[in-house]
Amino acid sequence: MRTSVKKLVTAVSASIALMGAGHAAAEIKIGIAGPMTGPVAQYGDMQFSGARMAIERINADGGVNGEMLEAVEVDDVCDPKQAVTVANRLVNDGVRFVVGHLCSSSTQPASDIYEDEGILMVTPASTSPAITERGYELVFRTIGLDSMQGPVAAEYLASLNPERVAIVHDKQQYGEGIATAVRDTLKNAGVEIAMFEGITAGAKDFSSLITKLRQADVDYVYYGGYHPELGLILRQAEQADLDTVFMGPEGVGNKDINTIAGDAAEGLLVTLPPSFDQQEQNQELVKAFEEKGEDPSGPFVLTSYTAVQLIAEGIEQAGSTDPFDVAEALRNGSFDTPIGTVEYDEKGDMKSFEFVVYEWHSDGSKTPVN
Amino acid sequence: MQDLLYFLQQLINGLTIGSTYALIAIGYTMVYGIIGMINFAHGEIYMIGAYTALIAITGLAALGIAWLPLILIVALVCAMIVSSSMGWAVERVAYRPVRGRHRLIPLISAIGMSIFLQNYVHLAQGSRNIGFPALIEGGFRFGSEDSFQTSISYMQITIFATTLICMSLLSLFISRSRIGRACRAVSQDLGMASLLGIDTNRIISATFVIGAALAAVAGLLLGMYYGSIDPLFGFIAGLKAFTAAVLGGIGSIPGAMLGGLILGVAESMTSGYLSGEYKDVVSFGLLILILLFKPTGLLGKPEVEKI
Repeated sequence: MRTSVKKLVTAVSASIALMGAGHAAAEIKIGIAGPMTGPVAQYGDMQFSGARMAIERINADGGVNGEMLEAVEVDDVCDPKQAVTVANRLVNDGVRFVVGHLCSSSTQPASDIYEDEGILMVTPASTSPAITERGYELVFRTIGLDSMQGPVAAEYLASLNPERVAIVHDKQQYGEGIATAVRDTLKNAGVEIAMFEGITAGAKDFSSLITKLRQADVDYVYYGGYHPELGLILRQAEQADLDTVFMGPEGVGNKDINTIAGDAAEGLLVTLPPSFDQQEQNQELVKAFEEKGEDPSGPFVLTSYTAVQLIAEGIEQAGSTDPFDVAEALRNGSFDTPIGTVEYDEKGDMKSFEFVVYEWHSDGSKTPVN
Repeated sequence: MQDLLYFLQQLINGLTIGSTYALIAIGYTMVYGIIGMINFAHGEIYMIGAYTALIAITGLAALGIAWLPLILIVALVCAMIVSSSMGWAVERVAYRPVRGRHRLIPLISAIGMSIFLQNYVHLAQGSRNIGFPALIEGGFRFGSEDSFQTSISYMQITIFATTLICMSLLSLFISRSRIGRACRAVSQDLGMASLLGIDTNRIISATFVIGAALAAVAGLLLGMYYGSIDPLFGFIAGLKAFTAAVLGGIGSIPGAMLGGLILGVAESMTSGYLSGEYKDVVSFGLLILILLFKPTGLLGKPEVEKI
């Protein structure tokens, strides 16, 4: 009896081991790391929707060098501590390619782990310049930098000849970084900065800040941060009759700002990546999203799609699934993607990426202003 | 003149936010006064009050009811009922079984309850910020048209007035009613009160229910005033209210009121004259100073050694 049980156990564990081995040989795991929950989960939705679509379509076309892609999705809640935890989980799962993370403050600590473990990471959304400034070999992005987005916003503001501009940020890596870039460009253009001040992310009461903005009598307020705080600022500013125009980065440009700010969101200026979903060459892809009942218009949907596509093409060109070979292929190649032709510099940044100024409307739509 | 108007505006901002801190702080201070424990889940009770109010408002809107006083009263009553039952249930489930043990045990139980409720709302309502309709709009303004005007909105007046009414009713209740007298007796000496025939379990439950009901009032008011709620916002507000309770002297009801107002005004003055970045530095710095020089808080009574 005892021996038969033993035999059975051995047989079962051997077959599990075999199954596992067979499994690993046929599939390339792609980690998708971003916020599924938490205050900025709507951006995570864009990321997951874009990346899943890319994986589906690549697999439908026969995979990469005959191997299928398999998504491993993890939730970092846009929290740096959680980002480290899920990064370690991806390492444990044997993932060698990651699409993520979304928030710069999560991407930064997670990328340390990926670089150490030899995992290639493509972030579809993190715009902080610091991420690619550490000489890492395996870090790439499919989005521009704050140092590109900030000046676009600041040059637009300067072209309106304002007398005084106030700059507010949420003291986080992304928000403060972009606010600093805007301030520096405005200063060079000779615009008076009446205020440069941080608020606390997650705060609800902005009455003191708004009183201060009213006192300072500014023409424009630039906000570096995300929509939950700016939505409240807009709404509370309207109630206090603060008469200025607000402007923010792509972190504020999603429809959730309308549910918080309501009519006060009308006229907000936002810098966003161009609407890739409106472009001629992407119409077939857009239709695929719509057939699935998903919205491809969010700023990070097609950048995430592109991140997966680049990993797949990198593997194909390198003829290997070694992340270092793939990184080499990405640096040397030129790729035709839904977000345009992608070429990388030594740091892993795209050689060019365009930002456009939009005017936001209270129904959640937007129109380009320049 | 303009500086004065600016100062007044910041004072109004501070008093408004301070009075809501006070409403939440009552829950901390009453529970501490009676059983000497800190109910860390109180911030979550406040958050649940705000969610309930929003659900009630949305429900009424769906039914096509647009008469403002009715909406407000229904939302308030629903929020108070749900929050109070929550407060009662939390005490029954998490605190009563561990009462009388080592001090740390109820404290940890409370932190666990706080995390549980936060995540429960997370799952039940989603983690996103939800917009809260501003039902009371408009206000008064002072000062000349072309320079800085001080404004006080109807919403701010409502918050301030509601807080004053709630506080006065509570003081009357504690000093005049039978349950209030029993509350005071229990807070002086739990064992003795129970020997004298007071149902201490009932009184302790009543304390949780009253604190939770006031927190629900604050939840509705702040939801309307700020404009959005999320599952985590009770935690931050709870922390501030707890600070207010300690500042004013934990265990003292006028202390909670005073502590809340001081904290609110200190915060708004700091962001108004220094920078918003120093808001929390100043308010928590204030707390440390008071604890150093007057450990029982502004209006707290020094603890008498019981023999």
